[in-house]
Amino acid sequence: MIELPLVFLGGLLGSAHCVGMCGGFALLIGAPAPRWSSNFARQIVYSGGRIFTYCALGAVVGYGGLRLADGLGEFVNVQAMIAIAAGVLLVVQGLISSGTVGYATRAYRLATAGAGVAVSPPAGSPGVGCLMGGMVGAFLRDRRMSHVFLAGVFTGLLPCGLVYAYVALAASSSDLFGGMATMAAFGTGTMPLMILTGTGSSLLSLAGRRRMLTIAAWCVVLMGVLSIARGAGFLQLSPGAPAASCPLCD
Amino acid sequence: MSDAASQVNPHDGACDYCHLPVTAASETDGPLYCCYGCRLAAEITGRGGAEGEARWTLVRLGIAIFLSINVMMFTMALWTQELYDARAVGSGPLAASLADLFRYLCLLLSLPVLWLLGGPLLNGALATRQRDVAAADLLIVVGVAAAYLYSAISVVRGAGHVYFEVGCAVLVMVTIGRWLEATGKLRTTSALDALEKLLPERVRTIDALGQPRDTALGDIAPGDRLRVLAGERIATDGRVEWGRASVSEQLLTGESRPVTKRPGDEVLGGGLNLDGELVVCVSAAAGAGSLARLIELVRTARLTKGRYQRLADRVSGWFLRGVLVVACGTFLFHFWQSGVDTALMAALAVLLIACPCALGLATPMAVWTALGNAARHGVLFRHGEALERLANVRAVRFDKTGTLTTGEPCVENFALADAAERDQVAHRAIRLAGASTHIFSHAIVRHLEPSTAIGNRQDVSDMKAAAGQGIAARFDNESGESRLGSLRWLQSSAMRISPELARTVALARQGGRSLSAIGWGGRVRGVFAFSETLRSEATQALAQCRALGCDAAVLTGDEVARGRLLAEQLGVTVVAGLMPDAKVAALANARRSIGPVAMVGDGVNDAPALAASDVGIALGCGADLSRESALVCLISDDLARVPWAIELARRSVRVIRQNLFWAFGYNALGIALAASGWLNPAWAAAAMVASSLLVVANSLRLQGDARNSLNEPAASADQGEPFAEKVSDAELGEHLLPLGAP
Repeated sequence: MIELPLVFLGGLLGSAHCVGMCGGFALLIGAPAPRWSSNFARQIVYSGGRIFTYCALGAVVGYGGLRLADGLGEFVNVQAMIAIAAGVLLVVQGLISSGTVGYATRAYRLATAGAGVAVSPPAGSPGVGCLMGGMVGAFLRDRRMSHVFLAGVFTGLLPCGLVYAYVALAASSSDLFGGMATMAAFGTGTMPLMILTGTGSSLLSLAGRRRMLTIAAWCVVLMGVLSIARGAGFLQLSPGAPAASCPLCD
Repeated sequence: MSDAASQVNPHDGACDYCHLPVTAASETDGPLYCCYGCRLAAEITGRGGAEGEARWTLVRLGIAIFLSINVMMFTMALWTQELYDARAVGSGPLAASLADLFRYLCLLLSLPVLWLLGGPLLNGALATRQRDVAAADLLIVVGVAAAYLYSAISVVRGAGHVYFEVGCAVLVMVTIGRWLEATGKLRTTSALDALEKLLPERVRTIDALGQPRDTALGDIAPGDRLRVLAGERIATDGRVEWGRASVSEQLLTGESRPVTKRPGDEVLGGGLNLDGELVVCVSAAAGAGSLARLIELVRTARLTKGRYQRLADRVSGWFLRGVLVVACGTFLFHFWQSGVDTALMAALAVLLIACPCALGLATPMAVWTALGNAARHGVLFRHGEALERLANVRAVRFDKTGTLTTGEPCVENFALADAAERDQVAHRAIRLAGASTHIFSHAIVRHLEPSTAIGNRQDVSDMKAAAGQGIAARFDNESGESRLGSLRWLQSSAMRISPELARTVALARQGGRSLSAIGWGGRVRGVFAFSETLRSEATQALAQCRALGCDAAVLTGDEVARGRLLAEQLGVTVVAGLMPDAKVAALANARRSIGPVAMVGDGVNDAPALAASDVGIALGCGADLSRESALVCLISDDLARVPWAIELARRSVRVIRQNLFWAFGYNALGIALAASGWLNPAWAAAAMVASSLLVVANSLRLQGDARNSLNEPAASADQGEPFAEKVSDAELGEHLLPLGAP
C-alpha cells in the first residue's frame, strides 16, 4: 500500500480542488454560527461527516478488491491491476485539473455537474432532481450539529472526480481496513483547507490559489505515477501474496 | 368515445403532490396522496404541512442511511473475517470476540432503521389507495421484519447468519425508490403545471367605492372588476370596462398577433396584457375562465383509461396473487432444501423483484406525459384512448373550407366593364369596402390598396349598409348611389351589366366562385371574383402525413373542376362534390379499404364527418373547447400540428409498449432468478428501484419532440422549455420592439 502519509499529503495538496467544488458548502455550514469557535466546531463536524463517507467508500472498494483478489488471485494479480488502473485514473484526473488535458473536460463536467445543479434549488423545492444534492441542500441550512454531520455524510456521496480517483487507489489495497485507512488519510488531508475556507479565512490571494490548484493537480499526477509504479512492482510478485495476512488476527 | 374510455369515477381526485389522478379516493380531510412516495416527497419538501414534520422526515431518512452505511461496514468486516476463516488464516480468540461485537453492533444499529423507515412504509402502505402497491409494500415490511427476527436470534444464539445489512438496504432502497418515483411523477405534470402557473395567485380588484384591493384568485366572482396592468395575465374571462391595450391570446386562440382591446371588448382568462392598463368586468368565476377550462379538460382527459391501461389493470389484479403463491412456494422449497434463512431471503427477493410498481406506472406515466406535452403545444386530447386511436390511424381526410383554406377569401379576378375607369372604380370600391366589416370587403381592400394611387379624394355622403346585400354611398354629391355588393342587389336598382362582364360572371359561377359587383349611374362598372386562400402550411402538412405512412386526401363539397385544380395545387387526391352525408360515406369507404381514418376539420360545418371518423381533429378550438365531435382539438389553426400529433401519438404508444414489455419481462426474469435463490434481496430492491425509474425516464422522453421532428418553428424552438415562458417572452419581446425595427 502507498504510505498513508503520502495519501494524506495528496489530500492536503489536492484540497484546492475540494475548495473549488465544495467550498460553498463549507461557507454555508459556517453561516449560522455566531462565534468563530462554534463555526470551527461545525467545520470539524462537517468534515467528520465527509471523512465517514470516504471511509465507507474505501471499505466497500477495499472489500471488493479483496473479493476480487480472492476469486481471481489464482489467475491474475488483481491488486497490481487495480493499482495500475487507479494510477491511470489519478494521472488523468490530475492532468485534467492542471488544464494539460482539455479534451476530457466536458465529460468530467458532465459527470460532476449533478452536484452543482442539484443543490442550487432551495431545500424543499419541488422536483429536486438529484437525491444527494437535495439532501445536502436540506441539511446545510440547519443549525443543529447532527444536521451538519449528515450534510457532511451526503457531501461525501456527491460525484467528484478526485474522490473517485482516491477510491480507486483504496481499492488497490485489496483490504477492507486498508481501503478505509487510505480514504481516511485522504479525507483528513482535505480537512485543513476546507476548514480554513469555511471559517472565512483566506490565506492565499487569487493568484496564490491558482498556483496552489496547479500544484495540487501535479501532486495527483505524481500519486498516480507512484501507484502505477507500485502496480508494476506487484506484477513481479506471485499472485495472491498481498492478501496473506488478516488484520483482525493477533 | 368508447364506454370504457368515458368512465370517470366521480369520487376520483388528484394527488396533492404530483397532481396525478387518484382512483377511488374516499372522503378525507387531510391531504390526498396517490402513493407512499408522494406522501414522503410531500413531507420532505414541506408541501405536506408543518415544517417540523418535513425536517423530521428528512432527518429520519438521513439517519437511516447513515446507520445503514455503518451496518454495511460492520457486515463487510464480518465477511472479511469469514473469508479469512475459510482460508484458515488464523482464528484467534480476539477475532471471535470482534466478530461477536460486530454482530451485536449490526443488531443495535439496524433496529432504528427498521423503526425509522419500516414504520412509515407500513403506515404508508395502510394509507395508500393503490391496493396492489400497498399489499406489496406490506409484504416487503413483513419480509424485512422476518429477516431481522431471524438475524437477532442468530446474534443471541451466537451462531447462524445475520441479514441486517439486507434489511437495511431493502428499506433504504424502497424508500428512496418511492421518493424518486414521486419526483418522476411530478415531472410528468410539469407541462400542465406550467400552464396553471400562468394565472396569478392574487389579483387587483376594484371595490364598489373604486378603491383598489388585493384579492385571492379563487375569491373573484362574476361582476367583480379587475385591474390588469401591462405584462400581467388576465385572470379570467370578462369584458373591458375601461382602458385600451394590446392583448395576446395566442395561448387560447393560437392567434400570434396581439389584439387591441377597447371598452366593450371580450377578454379571455389567460390572455396577456402587453402594453396598456385595463379594467375588466369579470364574467366567469376564476375556475371557469378560458385557460382554467383548458387545464381542466386535460385533467379530465387523464382520468380516463385507455386500452393499454385496462390491460395493465387486469394483469395487476391477478399478478399479486400469483406473486404470493410463488413467494410461498419459494419459501417452502428452499426451507425444505437449505433451511429457514435461505428460504426467507429467497422469498423476500421474490416479493421485492415482483413489486408491481413498474407495471402500474408503465401506461399512465407515458399517457400523462404525452397529454401534458400535447397541451403545451396547443393540442388537446379528450382522453388517453384518443392518443392510442390516433397512433393507429392509417388515413387522414381533410375538410377544405376553413381547414386547408384560411376561411378568408381573396380577390382572384377583378373584371372591369371599361378598363379606362380602373382607377375610379378601384377608388370607390376601396372607400365603400373600407366602411364595411364583411370578409369580402376586407379582401377587396387588401387586393386594391397596394395597386391604387390615391388621387383626389372624393366626398362621400349618405353611407349606408344594406344587411346581407352590400353598402351604398353618394360620391361628390352625385344624384345616384354607388353600390358595392351582390350583383342581384345592383341589378335590382336597374343597373345594367355589359355582355363582357356577364361572360366573366358566368365563368366565375361555373368555377364555384363567390362574386361582388360595384356600379353607379345605371351601370355595373366592375366585378370581383373571390377564391379561398390555402393555408401556407397546408401542402407541407399533407406531405408530412404521407411521410408518416398515412393516406392523405381532401373531402370537399366544391365543384369537380375546382376540386381538380385543388388536387394539382396540393398534390393529393381531392374528392369533390360531396354533400355532408357523402363525406361520411367516403370516410366509411376509406376505413374499409385502408384502415382507421382521422378526419381534420374546423368542427363547425363538418361535425358529422368528425364524429363519423375514428379520430376527429378540430382546428381552431381555442375559443370553443366544447367541440364534442372531435377527440383531438388544436387550439390554433396550424395544420402542422396534425402530423405532429400523429407522430406524438405513435411515439407514446411505442413508449407504452416498451414500458409494458420491460415491466412484464423484468418481472418474469426477476421472479425466476429470485425464486431460484440466486438473487440477494438487496440487489432485488435495487433492481426494483432501477426498473421503476427506467419506466419513468422512458416515459419522460415524451416531454421532448421527436428526433426527426417535423420542421415547424414552434415545436423546435421551444424544445424542453415550458410553453408558458416561451409565450410570454416572445409576446413581450415582439411587442417591445420599436416600430420599424428590423
